[in-house]
Amino acid sequence: MTLLESSTDASQLVQPNRVHGSAYTSQQVFDQEMDLLFSHGWVYVAHESEIPEPGDYLTKRMGRQPVIVSRAKDASLHVLANRCAHRGNRICNAESGNASTFRCPYHGWTYANSGQLIAIPMKQGYADRHDAIREELSLSECPRVDAYGGFIFASFAAQGITLLEHLGRATSAIDRLNNLAPNGRVQLTAGWMKHSQQCNWKMVMENNVDGYHALFTHQSVYEAVRAAKVSHQPQKVDVIVRDMGNGHAEIDYSEEYLKLDEEFVWFGRMPREKAPNYVQAMEDAYGPDKTHHSLVLGPPHTLIFPNLFLAEMNVMVVEPVGPGETIAYTAPALLDGAPEMNGRIIRRCEGAMGPSGFLIADDGEIGARNQLGLSAKNPEWVVISRGLESDIADESGIKNYDKSSETPQRGFWQHWSQAMAASA
Amino acid sequence: MSQDQSSVPAEFVDFIIREARLADESQYQEWESLWHDRDALYWVPMHEHADPDTEVSYIYDNRPRIAKRIAQLRTGARHSQTPPSKLRRIISNYELLERTDSSVTIGANFMLLEHRFTVTTWAGRYVYTIRTDAEQLRLTSKTVHLINGERAVSTMSFLI
Repeated sequence: MTLLESSTDASQLVQPNRVHGSAYTSQQVFDQEMDLLFSHGWVYVAHESEIPEPGDYLTKRMGRQPVIVSRAKDASLHVLANRCAHRGNRICNAESGNASTFRCPYHGWTYANSGQLIAIPMKQGYADRHDAIREELSLSECPRVDAYGGFIFASFAAQGITLLEHLGRATSAIDRLNNLAPNGRVQLTAGWMKHSQQCNWKMVMENNVDGYHALFTHQSVYEAVRAAKVSHQPQKVDVIVRDMGNGHAEIDYSEEYLKLDEEFVWFGRMPREKAPNYVQAMEDAYGPDKTHHSLVLGPPHTLIFPNLFLAEMNVMVVEPVGPGETIAYTAPALLDGAPEMNGRIIRRCEGAMGPSGFLIADDGEIGARNQLGLSAKNPEWVVISRGLESDIADESGIKNYDKSSETPQRGFWQHWSQAMAASA
Repeated sequence: MSQDQSSVPAEFVDFIIREARLADESQYQEWESLWHDRDALYWVPMHEHADPDTEVSYIYDNRPRIAKRIAQLRTGARHSQTPPSKLRRIISNYELLERTDSSVTIGANFMLLEHRFTVTTWAGRYVYTIRTDAEQLRLTSKTVHLINGERAVSTMSFLI
């Protein structure tokens, strides 16, 4: 009997220094994740810039469940199950749009974009029950929807910690990104690359904050495309990896960049003269000192549990499809009022990210091979002990000055384990 | 070779077929040599009416980036193409869309089978612009409109 079969408690699959392989491969674990993490926990669903106007909507998935994210007439945000409350038809079939109502194409039931059922055709068929049914059968709605810095999260659970409690220290990463925009908000309005990867969603997420793989997985980039922005030799640079708590984790270039005190190291070392209007708009908004600081510091490289990755000037969202299948969505993070930057941000996104990107195509391949490797049942465990002895706890979480340490992975998995134990 | 192909002159169809074979066989340098040395755009939008200035594309390579893409493939460490995918594509329904003194624009449908971990089917429409005013024909743009570009696509680091 394997470890998993002996217990339905998936939290047993994580120890401080290792993770059981079945956490990546088991359908049972996947089903529990969809329930505990992607339904009851806080899940990133959309960005406010995608639905700025009343009536704007998007169709998304929370875990495997199709949802409509809509902005109602009163500008309130709603995350609704994309399922007619009558017989279950998927009610909204466009990827995005603007509508005050959603009408089910099957029997014509019509709902307000806030989810309320407003019309049932041929209502006399329900006789006296009509008014009661109209009252009862609204679209199922996430009882908790909240946003921080433009990033919208939702939970199907009525009770639980607040979004701010969930985000914890990770709010600093969202702030860091927004601080690069003259108006304090990024815009995710250039569309999303959609990349199907043949691996577990957690492989995609933990790899995003893996400071160890770059020299190997991305060797071809450094050989043929461009030099790394700072050295990958841990002893040469002050790049920190960090477990921020609550499953959030990051690779933090701050100390190295502040030591260099050079602007745009994170943006191909672009001279500020190439974007004079952007720099001016930043200085008008924040003053010269804070602008210089933000342009030195650059964007975050931060995983926000479970499904959001602030990938420097890109945002990645993962959608689990099955234990061995994941869709990674990637959008460039545009800066409002900074056209000099946005064209470059889009081109850099295409260069690095998505199914053809110089970086992510190879991460996808390595992920697929990881999933294949994990079908070997021995050794049973995946080892994430690197740097365990040199981890340092401080007010920022648990950090390690060796960027190849598996500190982010330990943080991700410890939280995963706690969240998966919640209902065991 | 191309007697059955509508109104498109055979030399252009032959050029397109050669470009396709070099891509299928991952003959990277030979494929790159078909491109014009300055004026070049290799573009895979996510949807048919995309505006590349305001929307992200899967690929939007100018000439220097085409060179980088090829250089990366040639390192032998581009894991997603090591070993290269096995590829064969069929191109058909050629149409001459535009002809000027110095170029032609040709549209065609394609179906491409890729074998990597499994067999993946790719399909869509190619639009090529070919410069005709030099000694040899040179590709200045190739746009790939995937039929499924609006949905999730698999890793696409081969030459599509």
